[in-house]
Amino acid sequence: MSTAPATVDGPLLTADGVPLKESLQISLRRSKMRALLLVLPPLLFLIFLFVIPIGNMLTRSVDDNLINDVLPNTFAAFETWDKKSEPTEAMFEAFYKDLRDADRTDIGKASVRMNYANPGWRSLIKRTARKIDKMEPPYKEAFLKADDRWLDQDFWRSLGIMKDRVTFGYYLNAVDLDYDYDKNIIQQDEERKVYNLLWWRTIKVSIIVTIACLLLAYPVSYLLATLPMRIANLLMICVLMPFWTSLLVRIVAWMIMLQQNGVVNDTLVAAGVLSDENRLSMMYNFNGTIIVMTQILLPFMILPIYSVMKTIPPSYMKAAQNLGATPTLAFIRVYMPQTIPGIGAGCILVFIVAIGYYITPELVGGKDGRLIGNMVAYHMQRSLNWGLAAAMGTILLCVILVFYWVYDKIIGIDNMKMG
Amino acid sequence: MKVLLKHTLLASVVAVTTAAQAEVNIVSWGGAYTASQQKAYQDTYKDPGSINFINYNGGLGEVRTQVESGNVTWDIVDVLPHEGRVGCDEGLFEELDRSRFAPAPDGTPMDDDIMVELPNDCVVPQIFWSYVPFYKAGTFKDAQPTTIADFFNVKKFPGKRGIHTWPNALIEMALLADGVAVKDVYKVMSTPEGIDRAFMMLDKIKDHAVFWSSGAKPLELVQSGEVSMALAYNGRIGAAILSEDAPFVTVWDGQVLEEEWLGMMKGAPNKEAAMDFLIHASTTQSQAEQAKYINYGPMRASAFEIIKKGEPWFHNGKNIMEHMPNRPEVMPRSVVASPEWWADYGDSVGERYTAWMGQ
Amino acid sequence: MALPIYATTGQRIWHYTYLAFCVFVLFFLVAPLVAVIPLSFTSSPFLNFTPEMLALDPDAFSVRWYKALFGICDAVDDSASTMCHNKWMTGAGRSLYYAVCSTLLATFLGTLAALGLSNQHMPAKRAIMALMISPLIVPLIITAAGMAFFFARVNLSNTDAGIILAYTILGMPFVVITVTSTLVGFDRSLMRAGANLGGTPTYNFFKIQMPLIAPGMISGALFAFITAFDEIVIILFIGGPDQHTLPRQMWSGIRQEISPTILSAATILVLFSVLLLTTLELLRRRSERIRGITPH
Repeated sequence: MSTAPATVDGPLLTADGVPLKESLQISLRRSKMRALLLVLPPLLFLIFLFVIPIGNMLTRSVDDNLINDVLPNTFAAFETWDKKSEPTEAMFEAFYKDLRDADRTDIGKASVRMNYANPGWRSLIKRTARKIDKMEPPYKEAFLKADDRWLDQDFWRSLGIMKDRVTFGYYLNAVDLDYDYDKNIIQQDEERKVYNLLWWRTIKVSIIVTIACLLLAYPVSYLLATLPMRIANLLMICVLMPFWTSLLVRIVAWMIMLQQNGVVNDTLVAAGVLSDENRLSMMYNFNGTIIVMTQILLPFMILPIYSVMKTIPPSYMKAAQNLGATPTLAFIRVYMPQTIPGIGAGCILVFIVAIGYYITPELVGGKDGRLIGNMVAYHMQRSLNWGLAAAMGTILLCVILVFYWVYDKIIGIDNMKMG
Repeated sequence: MKVLLKHTLLASVVAVTTAAQAEVNIVSWGGAYTASQQKAYQDTYKDPGSINFINYNGGLGEVRTQVESGNVTWDIVDVLPHEGRVGCDEGLFEELDRSRFAPAPDGTPMDDDIMVELPNDCVVPQIFWSYVPFYKAGTFKDAQPTTIADFFNVKKFPGKRGIHTWPNALIEMALLADGVAVKDVYKVMSTPEGIDRAFMMLDKIKDHAVFWSSGAKPLELVQSGEVSMALAYNGRIGAAILSEDAPFVTVWDGQVLEEEWLGMMKGAPNKEAAMDFLIHASTTQSQAEQAKYINYGPMRASAFEIIKKGEPWFHNGKNIMEHMPNRPEVMPRSVVASPEWWADYGDSVGERYTAWMGQ
Repeated sequence: MALPIYATTGQRIWHYTYLAFCVFVLFFLVAPLVAVIPLSFTSSPFLNFTPEMLALDPDAFSVRWYKALFGICDAVDDSASTMCHNKWMTGAGRSLYYAVCSTLLATFLGTLAALGLSNQHMPAKRAIMALMISPLIVPLIITAAGMAFFFARVNLSNTDAGIILAYTILGMPFVVITVTSTLVGFDRSLMRAGANLGGTPTYNFFKIQMPLIAPGMISGALFAFITAFDEIVIILFIGGPDQHTLPRQMWSGIRQEISPTILSAATILVLFSVLLLTTLELLRRRSERIRGITPH
């Protein structure tokens, strides 16, 4: 160890003669690389199986390629039409060519899409396509023989809505608007307006459930935070048990409790509070959705509030009271403000989860307790209007991402705790 | 812990891979319905071991995927009227040689023996099921409900009404109750005024409606007295009466019938064996046999002759005829649902109905 | 929390009202689950307490629905053949298979992510963390819809592999969260000490870090397991007839043929969750003990 200590003007060296700064940088870079390498596999996994599928679905909300691929000639001929006079032979011929050349499955899918623009397209296309192999010119006559609705200008004019490969029609439908045949935005027919109502109801349910959860959770969290650990842990099991029990089990349990001849009604009737005819309807409606969702989401509110309350030293309250505050005043002015982070975390969490709920409203919602998530599922599985499902999903996702961002800003997701 | 985990894994892998390999895969809805098919068709088949029933949730999604990918594993699919038509139009089902199917005992070819017009050459007759009103005996003191108009009349027959959360059958029933003749129902429904008329009728029970979305629910609603009358699937009501002795009374008026067909997958792996089974499953005898286990109506008119002669026909020794939705006596007052109309207007009416429910 | 002896009557009333309210809330959380248990022993096919049951008539109780659950059918049940089949058991087997496979995968991937993310030099840490946790936040219905389209295109729908991968996505965030939180208290100088003493990074990981994060991994794995075991939305969208899991059987039970069989299944699941919960609580205590955090 005869090396002279590094002078002030020379670089600081490590034992192996590399300048310390550089050596630290290498080690930093290596540490960064190691961290990145660790994160990379799960990250790629997530991107391929989660981010891309969802992104891919979202593009469906504006995608109108299929119909343009199936009916290229028709749309070309449509452009030459004045939209007033009777459809021309050229248009029928173009339609004939398209139907003749297209794949049968694609025709089926296209006719489903066309039916959204003008109800009736499906049977019109189907009947015509069945006879397409035997058709001969003049095609206008042949088409009219297959179905006399071909002269109905509404069908032809509705092509104008579908002629572009990118459409915002599904987004319009998702908020009760529509295109007219000339692609002007108009209000949806009065009796078909459902989506604004459902959006509004979804928000209403989420807000009510959030408030209900807060009102129920706050006192209980306080109790849990102030009781001796041994008892608190025991009571905590009550909070956590529903959290760990199958969602469907909880829903079945509530059906038993709340149905017309369920435990609650039976008890109230037996106690003489209700007469047999006036049993409460608490299931398969708006009330059912609220009650069940509140119970299911309550732990999401209790846990964050409880964990914040645990960190507040009881001495603060005592100090405030020593300084002359009444217990109530001390609670409101000293204790409550400190619990706001927990309240915020709980509220945002409950709201985010509630707004996208599907299973619970589906099973207990009945006529007026079903939410936008149910409509997404309905269009995914039953009506097969995937564009509309994707548009509603996109709007829902955007709302949630905004709240998620707020949550991250205020609380930080790394502070999320489980159990 | 690790050893335990390994064993669990192994056990489940084994459990998953030992499903029996059969020659003909038939896809159906499961539950009591599939059970009746198994008893009536599979157990009476010359080689029951070669038939394998699989459950699915309906729709053509999987059928389409299999046919398009060329990797067809199913042979026969049990489909609703709409899928039966779309599947044939799109070439997802095989067109079958109609001459190979067995004629009725009196020699009528099968296709003329079917109680509706044959939609295409792909489908093989199965059964009819229906949406129908019913109530619990003793609910009403004096007059008993006998018509569909009574269902919509809450003054004469007080109490709540259980109806489903989608518009199918309800639109037809509302118009029938409003006096539209059976043969004109779809003509009226194809006009905007006709739909308005149906909704005006529905408005009369709006405030008394309790909505259900699962098939067992209307029975519970009526059983518990929560509603005085409800619409339900006829199979459910019949099963409750026949197997559980439930005191339900069906109102055989204004019911809406739905068809159920079998179709063979395009490119089915065991085409010949599947065809042979389809021929067996569609004979008059097999169709009648199915009525021993479930009160869905055979599609072949000739099957009724066998059932009538064989009464009590149900497997537990009860009469089945009076629970058949398409028996000749009730057909004049029944509507067979039009899949074409619902394909065209189902979406728009569905939205309107949802809006109506939520108001 | 005890009331001081000098409390006024008003304070007393307030205090007991408060306690009663808390009891009500806890009751609200647990009562429905408890109500399931006695009702699962009903002998009637209906889902409500019959007068005979309330009168504790022994004939009103039976294990009929447990037999049906386990696929033991007797002659009486045969007429109602839909209520008695072994779908419950095969469904449970399926669920177990998916849950175990996806949990193993999720625990592995989630732990990798947590180790990387807890490195203080990790770039874009916050954004990646937000992304890793997003499957918990995005509504299942949207995840399911996206996967349904995508999986169909890459031939993963209606396959066991597809479901296991989907469940891994759902389970991973839990592992990331729980392992990250065990690493918060982790003293990095321990790793350096290990390195100083000549251990390779891998050796040090398994000997030093692993035992410390193990409780986090296990509790994350438990969350992932229960999520997969209980999952119903994704399976409805991407599962085929062969992927008939326990929740799916319950779903069709609730929607189509509601019978008390579902209550016997529910009872078993409630007991199962109590068991899991106890395990988790023990793990938490152990973790705190190892990390030297004394319980308050």
